[in-house]
Amino acid sequence: MIIKKLKNLNFLLIFLLILISFIGIAGLYSAADGSYEPWALNHLVRFYIFLFLAIIISIIDLKLIYKYSYLIFILSLLLLFSVEIIGVFGKGATRWIKILGLSIQPSEIVKITIILALAKFYHDIKYINVSKISYLFMPFLILFTPFIFVIIQPDLGTALSIIILGVFILFIAGIKLWKFIFGFLISIISIPIALQFIKPYQKSRIISFLNPDSDPLGQGYQLIQSKIALGSGGITGKGFLKGTQSYLEFLPEKQTDFIFTLIGEEFGYLGSLFIILLFILLISVCYFISIKCFHIFGKLIAIGAASNLFIYVFMNIAMVSGLMPVVGIPLPLISYGGSVMLSIMISLGLVLNVELNYNLKKLEYA
Amino acid sequence: MLFSDQKKQVNLFNRRTFFLYLLKISLFTLVGWRLYNIQIFNSSKYKTLSKQNQIDLEIIFPVRGKIFDRNKNLIARNQKVYDLYLIPEKTKSINNTLNSLSKFIDIDFSKRRKIIQLSSKVKKFQKIKIFENLSWKTLEIIESNKYNLQGIFISEDYLRVYPYKEIFSHLLGYISKPNQQELSLPFISKMPNLEIGKEGLEKTFNPILVGKAGQREIEVNSSGRVIREISKVESVKGEEIYLSIDLRVQEYVVNLLNSYRAGSVNVINIKTGEILCMASTPTYDPNKIIQKPNTLYWESLLSNNLSPLTNRSIQGLYAPGSTFKMIVAIAALKHGIINNSSTHTCSGKIEYGDRLYHCWKTNGHGKMHVVDAIKQSCDVFFYEISKQLGIDKIAEVAKDFGLSQTFEISLPNQKKGIIPNKKWKKNKMGESWYAGETLIAGIGQGFVLTNPLQLAVMTSIIASDGKYVKPTLVKNNNNVFKTNKKYLNEIQIIKKALFKVVNEKKGTAYNSRLEDIKFAGKTGTSQVKRITLSERESDDFRKKEQEWKNRDHALFVGYMPHDEPKYAISVIIEHGGSGASTAAPIAKQIFNFISKIEL
Repeated sequence: MIIKKLKNLNFLLIFLLILISFIGIAGLYSAADGSYEPWALNHLVRFYIFLFLAIIISIIDLKLIYKYSYLIFILSLLLLFSVEIIGVFGKGATRWIKILGLSIQPSEIVKITIILALAKFYHDIKYINVSKISYLFMPFLILFTPFIFVIIQPDLGTALSIIILGVFILFIAGIKLWKFIFGFLISIISIPIALQFIKPYQKSRIISFLNPDSDPLGQGYQLIQSKIALGSGGITGKGFLKGTQSYLEFLPEKQTDFIFTLIGEEFGYLGSLFIILLFILLISVCYFISIKCFHIFGKLIAIGAASNLFIYVFMNIAMVSGLMPVVGIPLPLISYGGSVMLSIMISLGLVLNVELNYNLKKLEYA
Repeated sequence: MLFSDQKKQVNLFNRRTFFLYLLKISLFTLVGWRLYNIQIFNSSKYKTLSKQNQIDLEIIFPVRGKIFDRNKNLIARNQKVYDLYLIPEKTKSINNTLNSLSKFIDIDFSKRRKIIQLSSKVKKFQKIKIFENLSWKTLEIIESNKYNLQGIFISEDYLRVYPYKEIFSHLLGYISKPNQQELSLPFISKMPNLEIGKEGLEKTFNPILVGKAGQREIEVNSSGRVIREISKVESVKGEEIYLSIDLRVQEYVVNLLNSYRAGSVNVINIKTGEILCMASTPTYDPNKIIQKPNTLYWESLLSNNLSPLTNRSIQGLYAPGSTFKMIVAIAALKHGIINNSSTHTCSGKIEYGDRLYHCWKTNGHGKMHVVDAIKQSCDVFFYEISKQLGIDKIAEVAKDFGLSQTFEISLPNQKKGIIPNKKWKKNKMGESWYAGETLIAGIGQGFVLTNPLQLAVMTSIIASDGKYVKPTLVKNNNNVFKTNKKYLNEIQIIKKALFKVVNEKKGTAYNSRLEDIKFAGKTGTSQVKRITLSERESDDFRKKEQEWKNRDHALFVGYMPHDEPKYAISVIIEHGGSGASTAAPIAKQIFNFISKIEL
C-alpha cells in the first residue's frame, strides 16, 4: 500500500524541491565565503529531515487530515498564542518557540493550517451558500485570529502574507468580486488607523523604500547595496564564490532575506531568471494538481500551498529588487532558516497527498 | 449537492484558478522585468558602484629629491624616522596601553585626552599617530617592551634634514605642508599631505624634487578594512639637484660673517656664472622650522629685528656707495666727458647750486685723474663728472652692468633696487630731478639702491671684460657668455684702477692686499644717516664711536686673480663702518681661502 503510494508520488515536484534546495545550499556555501559552516550543512540536514516529513505527510490518509483540519488549526493557533504569552511574560518579544531542538516560528505553520481550515470549510458548505454573507463569518474568523496575533508581534510581512493568502483562497472558493473590492476599500480607509500601530522602525523602512538615497548608510543602505549586488552581476554574473558584495560584507543578511541578491551577483540575470522559472514550475505543478483534483478540499489545499509559495517568492524578490519595502520575507528553500522550509515542505507534502487522493468521492469516514 | 451545482462550482473554480495563475505569472513577469532593468539595463552603473565599494586607492608618497653642493656633498637629505602609532582595535584598553607607554615616554594629560577622543572617532583598525620622530633611545625601549604595549606599533617615515643647518638656509629654504592655495599646484596631485618647499630652492624646484606618487589599489570591505592588495605602482623618487655652491666656501664665509651682526657675501665664477657662495646673516636653522613644535622658534625669528628670514644677497637693498663709482667712471669715459688723463682738482668739497658737497677726505686729494680717483675713491672727482654726465647716462650704463635687474637664479622674491633717472623720479614722486641729486647718485648714495648679488654681477662683468655674466645657483660648467663690446676700452681703464685700489699705496684697500695672489676691487662706504654740518665740522666725527645702527654700511666688490680673473665677490657688512676697514679684509680672507682650496 505504502510502496504503491510512494510509486505514484509526483516526482517532478520532488525533483524541483531538491533542485531549489540545492541551489540554496550552494548560495549558503558562498555566503560563508566557500564554507559549509555555519549555514550550508545545516540547511542540507534540515532539507533531508523535512523532505522525509513531507513524504510521510503525503502518504497519511487524507480523510484523517480532513477530519482533524479544524483541530490542527486550533492547535497551531494555541502554539502561536503561547509564543505571545512567552513574549509578554518572558524575556521580551519573540517569534520563535523551541520544539525538538528546532526553533519554529508558529506564524509560518499557521499559514498552512489556515489553508486546511479554509479548505475544509468550503468543502463542507453547499455551493449556493458560498455567496451568502453569513457564510463569510467563519473564513474571517479563521483569517483574522492569526492575523491579529501576528501583527501585534509585530511581524508586518507575515501578517500581510496571511491576508493575501486568504484573499487568494477566498477568490478561488467563489466569493463574489464586489466583496473583494469592498474589503479593499475598507482596508484603504483603515490604513491611517493601522499606521498608529506601526513601530518607528517599520515606518523608517517604508520611508527608505520610497527614497533609498535619503539615508544611504541607514535604512536605505540595504536596498542600495542589494541593488548594487544584483546590478553588478550583469547577465552571467561574477562567478560562483566571486561575489564581491557579499564577500566584502556589503550585503546585509546575505544568508537569509538577501540570499537572492548574492545568487544574482554570482550568477547574473540568467541565474535570477532560472530561480524564478523553477518556482513558476513548482507553482504550476500545484495548479495542475488542483485542476486535476475532484474535491474542493484538495483543490483549495493545492491552490493554497501554491499561493503561499508564490507570496514568499514574489515578496522576497520584489523586496530585494526595490519593488517593495523591506518587510523581512525569506526566499523559501533557499534562505537559511528552518521554519519557512518546514512550512513549505508540510504544504507541499499535503499537495502530494492531494494528488494521490485526487479522485476520492467522499472525504468523510463511512 | 446537485450535479449541475457541482459542475457550476467546478467551472467557477477552474475559471478563477486560471485567472489567479495568470495574475501570478504576470507578477513574476513584473519581477523579471525589474531584474532585467537592474541586472542588464543598468548593469554598468551598478558595476561601477560595486568597484567603488570594494576598491580603495592608497597613495604611496615619493621620496623627495636630494640636494648636493657642486662637489656632491649632501646638503639636503631625507632621514628615516620612526613614528609611534596606536591601533585601537589591537588593544583591550587604550587607557592601560597609554599607562604602560607613559613609563617610557612622557604623555601629558591633554595629549592623552586627545588620543582617547580621537580613538573614539576613527575606525577601530585605523592608525592614530601618537609620537613623531622617536629618538633612538625611546625606540629601543619601546621595541624591547613591545609585549607590554598592546596596540602600539612603530612606522617609518621620512624627515627632511639639512645637515649644515643655518649654512644654506636662505638658499634651500625649507619644506612644510601645503596651504589651501598650494593644494591646487599640479605636482601635489593626489597628495594633500605631501610636504613641499616653501622657500628658496626647495620651493622653486618643487616640480623636480617632488617626484611621482605611486599608488596601491586595495580591496576593502564594507567597514573599510583592507582585504588584499590588487595592484601597486611604486612611487618615483624626486630628482637630485647639484648646486653651483661650494660647501667649503659657503661654510667658511658664513662663519666669517657670523662675527658681524648682519651682512652678505656673494662669490661668482665669472666664466660660468656659477654662484660659489651666497651667504646672508643672520640666518636660521631650517631643521628647527621643520620639526614640530616650532612655534617658539618661529616667534624668535619673527621678533628678531635683523630679520633672519631675509636673504640679504637678493632681498637686502643698500646704497652701493663708492662701488658705484666704476659705473660713473665708465659712463664718463664712454661719453667722452673725460679720458684717462683728464684731471679734476679735489679741495675736499665743491659748491653746487647753493650747497656744499664734501669729499670723504676733508683736506682734499688734490689733482686727480680717473684711475687715481677710483684708487683713492675721491668723491669730488665724481661730483664733477656726474654733474657733466647727467643722471640718465649714468643710469643707462648701470643697467648694462646688471644693476636694478633680477637674475634667473631660481630664487623667488628678488628685489630689484633702484637705479634712478629723471623719468623714474617723475613717475615715482611726481617731482623733477634736481641736478644736485646727480652728484649724490654719482657716489652711489641718494636714491641708488642695489642688492649684493647685483654688485657681484656688476663686478663679474667688469672682471670678464664685458661678458654678459648670468649668475646661476645650479651647477653648470658649460655656460658661455657673449661679450658686450660697448665698453671694452673703458673697462680696461677701470680694471687698472681696481688693481691699484688693492695693490698700490694710497689705494683704499691697500691694507688688505695679498702678496701671492693679486686681486683687485673697490671699497664702498654707504651712509645710513645724513651727516649734519655741525657733525662734519667737529673734526673727530669719523673717529667717534657711533651707535651701531647709525654706522655706515661697509662694502667691497672685487675679483681675483687680477691678471686672469676667475672669481668676483661682493661683501656687505651692515653698519660695518668703512669698506676699507671692514669689508675689504673679509674679501681678502675669502680670496685667500678660495686660492688655497682646489675648486
